[in-house]
Amino acid sequence: MRSKLLHIFRNTPLGRETLFQSIYFCKQLNILPVVYIPRFTKFLMYFENDVVQIDLDDSYLTSADTAIDRITAMMEQEEIQPSFIEPQNFTASTLPDLPTDFDFMCCPRSMSDLSSKIGLGHIGTKVRWIIKYAHFPILLTSPVFKKWKSITVFFGGSANALKALRLGFRLSKISKMPLDIFTQLEENSPEVYKQIIKDEDLEDSLNQNIRKWHFFESGKFENNLYHVPHDALVVLGAYGYGLIKEMLFGSKMEKIQATISNNLLIAGPKYFVSK
Amino acid sequence: MKILSSLQTPTKLNFFHSDDRMLLIFIGSIIGACSGTAAAALNHFLHIAFTFFYPIRHHWWAFIFPASGAFLSALFLGKIVKDGAGHGVPEVIYSVSRHGGLLRFRSSFSRLVSSFLTIGSGGSAGPEAPVVMSGAAIGSNIANFFSMNDRQRITLLACGSAGAISAIFNAPIAGMVFTIEVILGGWRSANIAPIAIAAVAGTEISRFLQGDQIAFPHQLFDIRFPDIMACIGLSIFTVVASVLFTKFLRTTGSLSKKIKTPLMVRAAIGGCAVGIIGYFFPVALGEGYHSVREMITSTFTCGLPILLLGLMAKMFATSLTLGFGGSGGIFAPCLVIGSLTGLIFYKTISVLFPSVIWVNEGYFALIGMAGLISGVMQAPLTGIFLIVEITGGYEVILPLILISTISSTLCNYIEPASFYLKDLKEKNLLLHPGTDAGILSVLTVHEVIEKDCTTVKQNMLLRDFIKIISKSRRNYFPVENEKNGKFTGIIHLDDIRSFIFNPSIYNVVVLEQITTTGIKTADPDDNLLDILKTMDKDGLFSMPVVTNGIFIGMVSKATILDQYRKELMVQTTEI
Repeated sequence: MRSKLLHIFRNTPLGRETLFQSIYFCKQLNILPVVYIPRFTKFLMYFENDVVQIDLDDSYLTSADTAIDRITAMMEQEEIQPSFIEPQNFTASTLPDLPTDFDFMCCPRSMSDLSSKIGLGHIGTKVRWIIKYAHFPILLTSPVFKKWKSITVFFGGSANALKALRLGFRLSKISKMPLDIFTQLEENSPEVYKQIIKDEDLEDSLNQNIRKWHFFESGKFENNLYHVPHDALVVLGAYGYGLIKEMLFGSKMEKIQATISNNLLIAGPKYFVSK
Repeated sequence: MKILSSLQTPTKLNFFHSDDRMLLIFIGSIIGACSGTAAAALNHFLHIAFTFFYPIRHHWWAFIFPASGAFLSALFLGKIVKDGAGHGVPEVIYSVSRHGGLLRFRSSFSRLVSSFLTIGSGGSAGPEAPVVMSGAAIGSNIANFFSMNDRQRITLLACGSAGAISAIFNAPIAGMVFTIEVILGGWRSANIAPIAIAAVAGTEISRFLQGDQIAFPHQLFDIRFPDIMACIGLSIFTVVASVLFTKFLRTTGSLSKKIKTPLMVRAAIGGCAVGIIGYFFPVALGEGYHSVREMITSTFTCGLPILLLGLMAKMFATSLTLGFGGSGGIFAPCLVIGSLTGLIFYKTISVLFPSVIWVNEGYFALIGMAGLISGVMQAPLTGIFLIVEITGGYEVILPLILISTISSTLCNYIEPASFYLKDLKEKNLLLHPGTDAGILSVLTVHEVIEKDCTTVKQNMLLRDFIKIISKSRRNYFPVENEKNGKFTGIIHLDDIRSFIFNPSIYNVVVLEQITTTGIKTADPDDNLLDILKTMDKDGLFSMPVVTNGIFIGMVSKATILDQYRKELMVQTTEI
């Protein structure tokens, strides 16, 4: 069955750039984009063990009457049949429930703030929540439409990083794009990471898909990020920490998104990928 | 770190692993205490607000208080915590019905603040529904913290609701019964112990913080046979009042949505109107318990016309408060309207039957409350136990049973869904766990789709098809258009048996000629309940699933039944 990507549309220049990113992503990976045009500034997503309320800013309600035509035109230009989602259930009269049975979801880096504030260096609280609870990966797009021609996976050896790696293999196979892996050697040698791959029985997949595995032995992580190709889709695992935990424990996701402007595909802790 | 992690998933601890009842009772008691504290706090602050506003309510300019209270309440809900308005109880029922009891964390405090602003300033509403919402959200979020499953979460949500109602009325049995009858919609033995303990914890906390006092003074009534029989007549009055009140609430809510102004302005307009009504009929303001006390003790001295006007005023005021965006519930207004209905009935029969000696007006006010609660909520047991507990009078149990059952039955006959459930039923959102619709609603086509079907092309010769049949274990073969891959129909082995045993036509017949076309198909996003209805109606055992004209698999009754059993076990296993 064809995979589906959920896109929350906003009828503004930034929103249309984001839709272009979704369309490109879907086209490369043969995914069906499903668009939700908000009628209210909030909606709920019921995940398996939590409910997340997304509070959108008012710009999401801009020119709702022209939204369908614009989306249709943009999709048909790329020969994609537009598909829309209309909420069937409402928790309260102005609080629709969106289904969560998607395979991907596209978000700007922040959904609740005005678009004028959005730039690199800030991932909104709601987007973090979605990452934390969603069983699907989240596509965090760059502010302007940017085609990607390769896939880069950040692999640090954790369980989430393994999920990201498996996801990267899958995307590389479907899109037939080259795959690079980036690893910052913190206190381990490259052999440790290779052993993790071996233990997880991923050696064959690695050999089939990989173009190059970059190990960074020295230098700050942020500085090494400049080696990431500017036209790569960056895939990484993340815990979706809130702001407080992030301040206490630090966050690789935050460093990556604040440093590079690539499109990011983030696999959260609840993302399930079949082995 | 390991200890912390095991505390967050207590169901994995050996002690709780085989039987979670002890765990639910333990956590339920904590939740009951938390929700009881929240309820007692709201009650306390409402009392302070009442004491503050009472001396100045008689001024003509006092209408500004309910207006500003409703404005602030809507501002707080809409702009600060960004929570939806509403009574709260339907949202809790919806969450139990459709989402395994998941409620947002913000709901654990948002309605407490907003209802304090609405009711404390004089808006006509009750604090009970907000505390139910708050208690249920506390239960749901604590269950999430401990990584509990849907069944356990629903039980803990119910514990929160029971603790809240028990605390606000100092009535543990009413809290339990309300939760089981209204929130859960059914009795399950595994739920009863945690809910009962939570109700006890909530009540104890309330008694500790507010003292052990009943809401309304206990009265001794000398009830005789005519008084019991009079309940039948009073139940007609309470049914009329219940239906009218429900209609007022719904109509005002729909009308207010047509006013194209921000919710805060709308709430302020409603509050203004309530303030003006309250200037002439003070009984219409606030929760109204003060007036109920007077009615029960027979010190509410008004004639029949004033009582009738007061009844209408209270109905209007509550509808305006809640329908226009204020925050609160209908429990307390039901008690006021019920007692007013009881008094009206008493005055009427006193005129009609002057020679009969009736007990007194307090008795009719009291059973009128039970009649209205049972009618509006269609929850007779809640009506009976609540009135027994909040008045401390067991001697009225027979009339209470009589009026509650008659009132709820007649109301159900006129209006098949209670006020809380009407919207949910109309939108087909009420699906209790463990019921047929409840199980099918959580299953999706994706979970039951069979993808091991062999598709064949419409121009294929029968000879080639026979070879495919010989290797296949299935009876259905979807047929596709060779050029565009679109689904054209299906071949069922039963339909082509005569062709199979006639080798002379093997090279002549192509599949297009023997394909059954125009058959009903399902979409991957279709509801399984609808798919099953279609299968039953058309006598089908399987249906092809097609999206954008492309065949993607089959759904069959056998696979649906298999998944249905698994989900049934998940939803109904007691331990």
